[in-house]
Amino acid sequence: MNNQAATNFFNRELSWLAFNERVLEEAQDVSNPPLERLKFLAITASNLDEFFMVRVGGLQSLVEQGSQEPDPAGLSPAAQLKAVSERAHAFAEAQDACFGAIAACLAEAGLQRLVMADLTPQQSLYVEHVFDHEIFPLITPRAAPSANELPLLPGLAICLAVRLRGAATGPRGRRTLRTALLPLPRAVSRFVTIETEKGARYVLVEDVVRAFAARIFPGETVIESATLRITRNADMIVREDLAGDLLSQMKRVLDQRRESACVRLQLDDDASPALRRFLMQALRVPESEIYSTTAPLALDGFFPLAMLPGFNLLRDKPWDPQPPPLARAGEAIFATIARQDLLLAHPYDSFDPVLRLVSEAADDPDVLAIKQILYRTSRNSPVVAALARAAERGKNVTAVVELKARFDEERNIEWAHALEQAGVQVVYGIKGLKTHAKLCLVIRREASGIRRYMHFGTGNYNELTARLYTDISLLTANADLAADASLFFNTITGYAQPARYRKLAAAPLTLRERLLELIDGEIQRVGQGQPARIQAKLNSLVDPGLIEALYAASQAGVRVDLNVRGVCCLRPGVPGLSENIRVVSIVDRFLEHSRILCVEHGGDQQWFISSADWMPRNLDRRIELLAPVEDPACRQRLRFLMDACLGDTVKGRCLQADGRYTRAYDPAVEPRRAQETLWHDAVTQARASEESEKGNFQPIRPSNGKRSSP
Amino acid sequence: MDFNGMEIGHSLLDIGYSIMTKKTAPPASGSKLVAILDIGARAIRCDVAELHPGGGATILESLQKAVSLGKDTFGEGRIDPASIEACVEILKGFRHVLDEYGIAQPEQIRAVATSSVREAQNRDAFLDRITVGAGINVEVLEDSEVEHLIYLALDDLLEHEPALRRGDVLAVEAGGGSTRVLLLRDGYVVYSGAFRLGALRMRESLGLEQTPAERVCEVLDAHIHRTVNQMRELIPAGAAPVFVALAGDTETALRSLVPGWKTAETARIPIPASHLAESVVRTPTDELIRRHHLPPQEAETAGQALLTFDRIARSFGAREILMTARSMRRGLLLKMTGIPSALARYGEQLAHSARELGRKYRFDEKHAVHVSVLSLRLFRELQPEHGLGPYEEGLLRTAALLHDIGSFVNIGSHHKHSMYLIGNSEIFGLPRRDLNIVALLARYHRRAMPQRSHPEYLALDRESRLTVSKLAAILRVADALDRSHLQHVRHLQCEREGRNFAITVTDLDDVTLERAALRDKADLFEGIFGYPVVLRTAASQKGAMFHE
Repeated sequence: MNNQAATNFFNRELSWLAFNERVLEEAQDVSNPPLERLKFLAITASNLDEFFMVRVGGLQSLVEQGSQEPDPAGLSPAAQLKAVSERAHAFAEAQDACFGAIAACLAEAGLQRLVMADLTPQQSLYVEHVFDHEIFPLITPRAAPSANELPLLPGLAICLAVRLRGAATGPRGRRTLRTALLPLPRAVSRFVTIETEKGARYVLVEDVVRAFAARIFPGETVIESATLRITRNADMIVREDLAGDLLSQMKRVLDQRRESACVRLQLDDDASPALRRFLMQALRVPESEIYSTTAPLALDGFFPLAMLPGFNLLRDKPWDPQPPPLARAGEAIFATIARQDLLLAHPYDSFDPVLRLVSEAADDPDVLAIKQILYRTSRNSPVVAALARAAERGKNVTAVVELKARFDEERNIEWAHALEQAGVQVVYGIKGLKTHAKLCLVIRREASGIRRYMHFGTGNYNELTARLYTDISLLTANADLAADASLFFNTITGYAQPARYRKLAAAPLTLRERLLELIDGEIQRVGQGQPARIQAKLNSLVDPGLIEALYAASQAGVRVDLNVRGVCCLRPGVPGLSENIRVVSIVDRFLEHSRILCVEHGGDQQWFISSADWMPRNLDRRIELLAPVEDPACRQRLRFLMDACLGDTVKGRCLQADGRYTRAYDPAVEPRRAQETLWHDAVTQARASEESEKGNFQPIRPSNGKRSSP
Repeated sequence: MDFNGMEIGHSLLDIGYSIMTKKTAPPASGSKLVAILDIGARAIRCDVAELHPGGGATILESLQKAVSLGKDTFGEGRIDPASIEACVEILKGFRHVLDEYGIAQPEQIRAVATSSVREAQNRDAFLDRITVGAGINVEVLEDSEVEHLIYLALDDLLEHEPALRRGDVLAVEAGGGSTRVLLLRDGYVVYSGAFRLGALRMRESLGLEQTPAERVCEVLDAHIHRTVNQMRELIPAGAAPVFVALAGDTETALRSLVPGWKTAETARIPIPASHLAESVVRTPTDELIRRHHLPPQEAETAGQALLTFDRIARSFGAREILMTARSMRRGLLLKMTGIPSALARYGEQLAHSARELGRKYRFDEKHAVHVSVLSLRLFRELQPEHGLGPYEEGLLRTAALLHDIGSFVNIGSHHKHSMYLIGNSEIFGLPRRDLNIVALLARYHRRAMPQRSHPEYLALDRESRLTVSKLAAILRVADALDRSHLQHVRHLQCEREGRNFAITVTDLDDVTLERAALRDKADLFEGIFGYPVVLRTAASQKGAMFHE
């Protein structure tokens, strides 16, 4: 980030690239087992794909519109694009080198990539058989008659460009030359496994197709073939204000995404200059958007290899989610939550209690209604299934399905239809605002009257990502929060106007205001000589207004400790500006994802969890929530977590005033690794609870019919 | 046979399943869920509440959506069809929320409308459309009923602020169409009334949209001043009353605007509060909405409400303004909870109002009070027969206190004079319909029995006519027992002896006069309850026993 003017802000795109570089560091780190390194490498690739589609796509759209508007770091869109391109090229080279290093490690361990030349005759025969029977029937070559008539290529798919010389002669007696493009069929595995005596070997499917390309074009001669992959601009805005039917609009966006402009061309390093020229012209890509690569394309496609069964010695020992001690098995989740608030730190704590809340609500005869926001959820989501079941059982079920979850639209449209058919009242969010809050509300009639149970979360209702992302869940039956949660849903469903919440703050109306108030409160207190401190854990810190407020806090003498995993536009440690601000970023095996805020509040610490990052889009154009955590035990857990994250000397990196991230390693103290500490803590607690349960015999009684199973 | 058995078993299982799952909620375990809907001039509000068996309630949800009924009715005289449909849609949405709590029975839903519906020419069309479209029966409240509900809400405030039960409390609600004032003296309402000074009315009639910001206060002041002068003449407030401002339908806005009131129960603004009021009045509505996230319908009028409070409070010499969110809806909720102590205080309030009225017509207070005591005694004795509740008891007590006020006009036919005096008076806490019942009870305390040739009686529905007959029967007997107007009959015992209803007077030896009176007046009693009334003294009873 040295290549930008020294304003008070870092450029957002470059900061993002710095984040991806930190992920790449993990892939390069030889102290990580090879398959973990491969996974990190695959993550950098898939991250970068989204970055190009959305962020680079967005910048390109701005440049095309002629925008000169500088960002807070003082860079025009064109200047940003240039800086991004330079850094992304260097990054791609580093990825290539990293792949080579990891592949060598894996080969040594018996997981080896072979090229066609390496194969024994018998193996070749096998591969040929695979091509003829499993690959060839699925290939649809698309001729490109000229560079101006390119067939439509799918974005992010590996394609083979084949230059061919025809059998027939043209008008001047020369044989015709043409180029054909073949997208590799998505239904075929990327890896063709080769049986060997020891280890597992594989050939990449693109190598196989290249080897047998001539069979696809009988009568023509293959002059050359090369793999390529294009990334399309996905910076598309749904114009909700134009038409009423959001569903059909979303479908149209998906269609447009298939045809929009190419923002990046990844091309096999050995493609000839002629082919390169042809593609540049056909795809209208300048030289700066071409990324020549020596490693295979689409490194995100190596996830399945990293997950290959067996080879556990090449992986980390798993850190499985632990059953939270307070959520006793055999006790209805409602009884647990009614007894005390439950704070879960995923993935150290199992996501089960959250799933149980929805699932037990669906089956519980005393439950009257369930309201749930669905943003990104898993295939065959148990949450969706439970909601449908509840509706079929005559409960009032409301699902706010956010269709605008980027790249998940298609899947979300499916849920929406399935739920509607089951009798769920489905609401597609609010016009112009993406619903990003994570909230589930269950209304239950009990002996003492109505009681409402809630789940507030920082992550999505997705039990798969809940094993990989660090997120916080708060399960509570607090009456004030319940009134707020009801009002929140009534506002989204349009039954009520927004009104003042008792305890929650919600974007876009009051969240920014509340955060500024909390920061300002610390400034006031430090002025009165009271203890003042702000600690926040976020994924991204971009919002100029909040960054300015944090600068003001630093200048007033408030200690500000930030744990920002990804983009951070705040420049810390600048004397007179931000010398009291420290920023630590953790990239470790789980994706840091929770948003937590703590303000000292004169010694009476106030804790909050939130769905929102501190970015303008989250604070102004999304529906987001900030919920207080009031239970002392829950706060203590957050305290432990925050301390661990801010004190990580193994996977933590400190952001410097010049924008570089340096390892937080401190030889003077025992190495501390936040994720490890938190996992050990979860295990210790689960074991302690298991021990204490041993003396507590629970007779199994016949069901009393209260808890019917589906 | 096996097959059949399976079939049966299967279908039984199905039934079991549907009982367990479809009819989700088990019967209420003590607490009761209710919804209170208030169709106001600018917004429809809905409170979902849980009534606890021991009294008290918890508000589970408060919903509000803007409407323009006030603009329609106060401007055009009728509700626009588009507004009607908007109301139907809003109420359907509310119904959806109510369904989530299983609130579906008519007795669980209380929906009321006030002046913006009452004054609309097409109010019946509106009400019909709401019934058909949203399945909600809306009751249109009169001013006196609204005031009574506000009194209940205020009474609840007094429970929390007992200091206010001493001295004068001037409670003011600045609504969209009118400003309501209640004056409480030692906890009793001694004045209530509505003035045509409404934030929405002012906005419409004074053309505030076009007035330059710096002149708005001046224009409003001139207008408010006239009404305040009128109030000074009509409202018998002492010096420096406690001023209670009811935020009413600008609560959301005022909670944001009044310092220290965000979540607190009440807020106190020192007088003069002009600075706060004037600065809000001068701030353009759009800015208020943006800066404080106010609901638009409240942002338009919150400033005028504050200004109205300030001007009235100052002119009555109050030292501070006590802001409360207690509103008509709270009153409705309290009425539905039926807290016994509050009901008892309501009865006292009613009696207090009645005595005030009686004094105005120089009634024989001792006789009136005595007849009311005897009436209540008989009412309670006859509980199994009449099956009426505490509300009807209040009606009887009021009528007993006022039955003779017609003597002020002329002793001859004084029962008829009583009827029209009562019928044309205001008794705080009594809606018009029930005022008629009280008037008829006074009419039937002597002479003619209820009959269909009496138009006032005929105008009542069947149930009310029966109530009149039952209560009048009791009142006639009670009046007869104090025929002497000397309160001789104090201690009595009642027994049902075979066909007879026997009243034994224990502290009097000679009941000749009373017995004679009963001969005239117990006819209705016998007709309704089926018992001839037998009056005797303790002495005569002893004698009778001796004889046997």
